Amino acid sequence: MNDWWPIALMNLLLVLLLSPLLEGVIRKLKALIHSRKGPPFTQPYLDLLKLLGKEELRSTRSFYFRVAPLAALSAILVAALLVPMGGGSPLGFGGDAIAFLYFFTLSTVAIVMGGFATGSPYAAVGSSREMMMVLTVEPVMAIALITAAAKANTLELGLMSARIADGQLTISLVVAAVALFLALQAQLGKLPFDIPEADQEIMGGPFVETSGPGLALFRLSFFARQLILGSLLIQIFLPWPAFEFIPLNVAVNLVKVFVVIILVGVIDAVVPRLRIDQSMNYFKYVIAVALFGLGFALIGQ
Amino acid sequence: MTAQDLKERIRAGLDGTVKEIVEPVPGQVYITVDRADIRRAADYVARTFNARFLITAGIDKRDTRGDFEVDHIFGLDPEKMFVTVRSSVPADDTRIDAITPSIPAAGWAEREMQDVVGIAAIGHPDPRRLVTPDDWPDGVYPLRNDFPYGHRPEPVPERPREYLDPPEGASVLPIGPFFPVLEEPSYWRVFIEGETVVGCDYRGFYNHRGIEKLGGTIQTYNEIPFTAQRICGICGFIHSTCYCEAVERAAKIEVPLRALFIRSVVLEFERIESHLLWLGIAAHILGFDTVLMQSWRIREPIMWLCEMLTGNRKAYDVNLVGGVRRDIPRETHPKILEVIASIEKQTAELVSTIPGDSTLLLRCKDVGVLSTEDTRKMAVVGPPARASNVDIDARRDHPYSAYDQIEFDVPVYDTCDVLARIMVRMDETLETIKMIRRLLDRMPEGPIMTKIEDELPPWQEGICTVEAPRGEAIHYVLTGPDNRPARWRVRAPTYPNLQSVPLALEGVQIADVPITIGSFDPCFSCTERVEIVQAKTGETRIYAQEELLELSREKSKAARR
Amino acid sequence: MFASKLKQALICFRAGRVTLPYTFVQAVDTPLRPPEGFRGRMEIDVEKCLGCGGCAEVCPSRLITVHDPCPEKRILEYNLDRCTYCGRCMEVCPEDAITLTQEFENATNDRRDLFIQTEIMMGTCQRCGRCFPPPSALDKIAETGMRNGDESNASP
Repeated sequence: MNDWWPIALMNLLLVLLLSPLLEGVIRKLKALIHSRKGPPFTQPYLDLLKLLGKEELRSTRSFYFRVAPLAALSAILVAALLVPMGGGSPLGFGGDAIAFLYFFTLSTVAIVMGGFATGSPYAAVGSSREMMMVLTVEPVMAIALITAAAKANTLELGLMSARIADGQLTISLVVAAVALFLALQAQLGKLPFDIPEADQEIMGGPFVETSGPGLALFRLSFFARQLILGSLLIQIFLPWPAFEFIPLNVAVNLVKVFVVIILVGVIDAVVPRLRIDQSMNYFKYVIAVALFGLGFALIGQ
Repeated sequence: MTAQDLKERIRAGLDGTVKEIVEPVPGQVYITVDRADIRRAADYVARTFNARFLITAGIDKRDTRGDFEVDHIFGLDPEKMFVTVRSSVPADDTRIDAITPSIPAAGWAEREMQDVVGIAAIGHPDPRRLVTPDDWPDGVYPLRNDFPYGHRPEPVPERPREYLDPPEGASVLPIGPFFPVLEEPSYWRVFIEGETVVGCDYRGFYNHRGIEKLGGTIQTYNEIPFTAQRICGICGFIHSTCYCEAVERAAKIEVPLRALFIRSVVLEFERIESHLLWLGIAAHILGFDTVLMQSWRIREPIMWLCEMLTGNRKAYDVNLVGGVRRDIPRETHPKILEVIASIEKQTAELVSTIPGDSTLLLRCKDVGVLSTEDTRKMAVVGPPARASNVDIDARRDHPYSAYDQIEFDVPVYDTCDVLARIMVRMDETLETIKMIRRLLDRMPEGPIMTKIEDELPPWQEGICTVEAPRGEAIHYVLTGPDNRPARWRVRAPTYPNLQSVPLALEGVQIADVPITIGSFDPCFSCTERVEIVQAKTGETRIYAQEELLELSREKSKAARR
Repeated sequence: MFASKLKQALICFRAGRVTLPYTFVQAVDTPLRPPEGFRGRMEIDVEKCLGCGGCAEVCPSRLITVHDPCPEKRILEYNLDRCTYCGRCMEVCPEDAITLTQEFENATNDRRDLFIQTEIMMGTCQRCGRCFPPPSALDKIAETGMRNGDESNASP
């Protein structure tokens, strides 16, 4: 694939420039459910700009603390270059679903390490909770992707998407999609699973000591996850209708991602937060369900 | 049992040690014993009559009779009486036996007495400083009469506050004084093993304001209702009513019935808006902001209603000694009924979604349990007590204002957890709305203020308890010469409740700590009104920051697996 | 579970949006408009004031001071930055000179915005020399040696 770089550039721009807008939509939706007017859709952009201009306060000289925001964002951006957003996977020749999971988890690990490095007890609690979440949520993502891989007979994400688009919606795909959606809710840090970042309980968890530009990068990495995971869900499990004309495909993808985001936002607004042990318990069942879906895929469904 | 029976039984039971029994106000009995017998007398009263400890007041009477006085006030709920066990303490030997070892509920009251009046409680299991700040000099006692109002003692070098150490194997998670969920500063030193809490040490009183000193020195009788209203943002009116009724009882002032009805109606308005506010806060603590927004939206019309009736959304300022300043005329009744009907309907609707909401139940059911036994031991009051099967309510047990003129139910639950506390408050809100209808219906015509021609007689004592949204508040007033009280003792409902929160926190997961604390609906403004911290605020702030940084650099293996 | 969520959703959507556009519009154009009887910032009609000092007696915040530089003149100073809007001054004023307006947007950078000083011309009792309010405007003019703000002829 010699012309991967326009797609790569498109993916990158979409993630950097459009994902704050998706966050704005979620916030506006939450406000609507709260019976209030809410912030403008462009508020996340303004928040990022404001944070970039603020002073960076450091609670520790630790290398991990300083590098964590950069690591988190750059890992997520690499993941963005592996995810198909309508134009296939730009770096698909270099990495597949496994690489995607690797970089995605790397971003989370960077956050966890940054949290432990600060020395704050709140960040320590938040980071340990994040690790526990990772242990129960990543397997769901992995199983869902393996299910799709079994259906499509490949691990390369772009190809996976194309082959599933040629096929039909089956039970295994539906089950895997639902499981992935639940994992998405947790990975995006949305209620009822926003436990590591629960500001009411532990002052913001791993982010408690980050400020200014570092916080802006962390936030952007979370916004980016929305577009990335949303595209993953849509492109792999619900890629219909698929078009040859790439810009159209991308536009359709964005519309579907938008719908997913709205669902995420609605759930975020109508449930209280779970405790970490309750959430881990919950995901045990989700893993079981996802394995079920995998079973269906392996028997050809 | 009548007051006469009570007096006789006490005299017989404490054979010979009772020096004097008086009943200046019907139902309010004061027993004087020797200093050496105070513990025995307090024990006797507490055990024999199942009396509930209310508060301790230390009074400086050196100007009038040359000594100090210590009053331990108890409530006899079924008999609707108050019994005070008092003794005098010589001015040159300011010590007395502590009653805390046998009555744990007196823990803070005696520590406070030590700090501000300077009467040492011998044998107190935890004699650390409670209310005065760390740079307050030793031996300077603000509530003594020789300490002028407005005096600022030179700050001494701060000594580190002594905190309890965590038990073997546990580590410390400091919650506060700056913490997002708790709107006011409070420091919960939580000891954890893994994710479970095994103990807690509480430090509060960051926000003292010198209100008792104000009331005991420069403020006159009719200025204090306004000070009392500002003891608390949310439950100010109960304090002003409690003070006024305490003075009225002490000075035998006959308040017109219409004024009492108006006080009751406004008190019930306060209950509605406080409970709906609390529901929102509790939901916010759980991350459920939708319920926060909706319950505050439902609550807003009553704020507008109170603004129309009293002139302010929250600082009602309606009370004066002898009656009320503003009427609730008949033309306003239809509007009131309309507003509370709409709130009733919406609250009932919102509350009906709680039992079915399984995620909410997961966070509230069987969380933050405070056993009935602990509740009685620490003399907890209000919804936390009623949620733990302790059936006390000052409106029914010690009637004030017009509560003896209407009938009402008191919701009691026995599951002792956070969910029970939510349901008690919501049931109370709905019951309150019915009470307002009955009060408006039966409100008599007539004047709203008694004309008080003569100066109030000095050296008269009155006690009043009022059921605030958070529990029972008690005010004790000793009238004085020159148009002002000689002593005004205030105890807000959160005072005993906060003492019991460490017990409720045992066995709780870290994530449940904020909701457990929040379910007691702590009102720190009320609790911490005791003494002057006119110490250089700049220094206090720096100290808190350093302390926090120091703690945060402490063992950061706070919650490692 | 779903039933309760559905009910909650219904409650939210029936309520609509309740955000008021206040501070982007004036308070009087919203339900936030303070009603009659609202206890806002204090105002005094100097023409009606007798100089009796009743307000100073009852103010719980002790923000009203009374000062007589000479028997014919009484100065009342109101430090409204301490005002708690209780309304006692309004209640006791025998001439209804003091009113509490509907103004609640009282925050300011300049303390002088919240400071009122009134000067009341008083008559003097023939026997004891103490002040009492003069019966008419003519009497006020007749006070010799007292131009506006000029106390050079006033006795200490």
